[in-house]
Amino acid sequence: MRTPARKLPEERLEGIGVCQGVAIGTVFLVDDPRGRIVRVFLPSEQLDAEIARFREAVRIAQRQVQEATDRLRAALGGERVYILETHLLMLKDYSIGQQVENFIRENQANAEWAVRDVTNHLLDVYAQITDDYLRERGSDIVDVSHRLIKILSGTKTRDLNELAVGAIIIADDLLPSVAADLDPRRVLGFVTNVGGWASHTSIIARSLNIPAVVGVRDITSRVRSGETIIIDGTTGAVIINPSPETYRFYSEQRERQQQQQLHDIEERELPAVTRDGYEVKLRANIELMDEIDVFQRFNAAGIGLYRSEFLYSQSATGLPTEDEQYEAYKFLAEMSGKEGAVIRTFDLGGDKLHLEGFKPERNPALGLRAIRLSLSIQHIFRTQIRAILRAAEHSDEGVRLKILLPFVSNLDEIREAKQIIADAERELRAERMPHAEDVEIGVMVEVPAAVIMAEPLAREADFFSLGTNDLTQSVLAVDRGNENVNALFDPLHPAVLRAIKFVSDAAQRMRIPINVCGEMASNPAQVIILLGLGLRDLSMTPSAIPAIRRLVRSIDLNTAQNLAAHAIALTTPAEVHRYVQAHLSDLGAQFMASAHFTHFVS
Amino acid sequence: MQQRTLVIRNHLGMHARAAARLVKLANGFRSDIRLARSDARLRTVNAKSIFAVLLLAATQGTTIDIIVEGPDEAKAIESLCQLIEENFGED
Repeated sequence: MRTPARKLPEERLEGIGVCQGVAIGTVFLVDDPRGRIVRVFLPSEQLDAEIARFREAVRIAQRQVQEATDRLRAALGGERVYILETHLLMLKDYSIGQQVENFIRENQANAEWAVRDVTNHLLDVYAQITDDYLRERGSDIVDVSHRLIKILSGTKTRDLNELAVGAIIIADDLLPSVAADLDPRRVLGFVTNVGGWASHTSIIARSLNIPAVVGVRDITSRVRSGETIIIDGTTGAVIINPSPETYRFYSEQRERQQQQQLHDIEERELPAVTRDGYEVKLRANIELMDEIDVFQRFNAAGIGLYRSEFLYSQSATGLPTEDEQYEAYKFLAEMSGKEGAVIRTFDLGGDKLHLEGFKPERNPALGLRAIRLSLSIQHIFRTQIRAILRAAEHSDEGVRLKILLPFVSNLDEIREAKQIIADAERELRAERMPHAEDVEIGVMVEVPAAVIMAEPLAREADFFSLGTNDLTQSVLAVDRGNENVNALFDPLHPAVLRAIKFVSDAAQRMRIPINVCGEMASNPAQVIILLGLGLRDLSMTPSAIPAIRRLVRSIDLNTAQNLAAHAIALTTPAEVHRYVQAHLSDLGAQFMASAHFTHFVS
Repeated sequence: MQQRTLVIRNHLGMHARAAARLVKLANGFRSDIRLARSDARLRTVNAKSIFAVLLLAATQGTTIDIIVEGPDEAKAIESLCQLIEENFGED
């Protein structure tokens, strides 16, 4: 990579990192050609020629899409091919072509203007569709019209061939056709104006494993093609025209990541066993179904936490039906291997469900949410339970699904939930619907009441899951989203460590399994403490698995136990931090030298 | 003329992929093929146009009418109903 010319000042922007990693490259701006179209009034004798020009453009577009379809089918096995097939049908649509030709003739307009007008008209009609999923298909119309206008106006299709090696694509949003035309070997990253974790760009980026930052407002108007740009898909940072210092900092980081990725691939099959022979389960936390292949790439021991409330954001029709959920859970059961998947029942508040007559709460974090909501509006919970029980039956290698109840603060809640589960089993039996009856039921320990009552809870629960994010918030009474106090959010606070130990000890005494599914499980320094406190089952964001695997393999459990025993005896968070920092170097020197470590400790 | 009423059952409804399958199939017949939502029977759309079919916004649970008229109408309605009944080959 060449050093940047330092003329313009460095500019730093921030967005949402949706696919991890640092990329340093050259801006390649994919802009919207529709903004630059002018209206030309044509003399009537030119109209036939204009229509012929339009028809030729349609033919070229059809050929381009067909070629892209073939290429995609060959490269990716056809997952996204159907989007392009829709585009092809749109280009072949007789009535729309006719509308454009009529417009040209009646208004003596140029073809670009006619395409724009007909497209805008169509989009207005589509905007009235109330179903979110179907309405989104408007983006396909935009996409097809872009293509036609580019061909008509002679703007070279800048995708594909012109794309230099080392490009970072900057666009309003990544249109499916652009994505299909991309050569992943030449593209280093994506940045878009709009989007979130589940947007099209994000999904494509993760499936190609290319760093991406979305939701960087105005990025398309702030950069010019050819400028040097750095993106960090982990933190969401975007830096235009980096200073030599910034450039050096990020190149080093990228270098380390590349080394790391090579190691990750080599090491993915290695067992997660400490040097003194203790096995640690490394599982994946999953939100979206498209993350499944990512989790297989890291060789996770099944899914330790599936956040089922994301079915709501993905469902086309609001409340996901029993069949919709059944399909999703069946897929999880099939994909998660012999270790199976833990499905956490909906952790939602009434505000998210748009329940009729539900009054906004002053403090929804402590309101009617999760298990409380499930028990007060039972039909939604019952639907979910039925879907899980049906899907759990699906595997012939035994039951692979488990149920996890979130936000339990009272033993009666788990008893009541078990009653509903037993009722659902009876119903399914009566309906002769295939289902499983021995699905394990776990409790999420994330509020102080559940910590204090851990032992009696363990008599009712088949397993515990420690949700360290909510637990830290509730034990310390700190709202992590509140910037006035978020510095006080600290999982290494001795109160949190003691709470964890208390729960872990109770689970061991009562002989039920316990796992950790909060962010602590993906932080190497904190994992050492967790291991030392007796936890051997960790569920984390899939991309953290390689680092944690390396950590586990580099330490002795005995050392971790000593470290944890000392840490827990300390009385302030600052003391714990000092102690942990000072003693980390004693542990696995090889690991400590690795890439992300310093970042994690601070 | 042949006419049938069916319910869209696949969970995404007649979204892009499903609509594309239907339009492709419809284009293989010579008959005139029209669709309408049963809650708006008079507004029929051309089943050979992808835009028109997407605009039906037939989500899961929508009841639709298929009206086919032409030389191969029997075969056409049979094939189209089969595609819809098999949930567009999806679920």
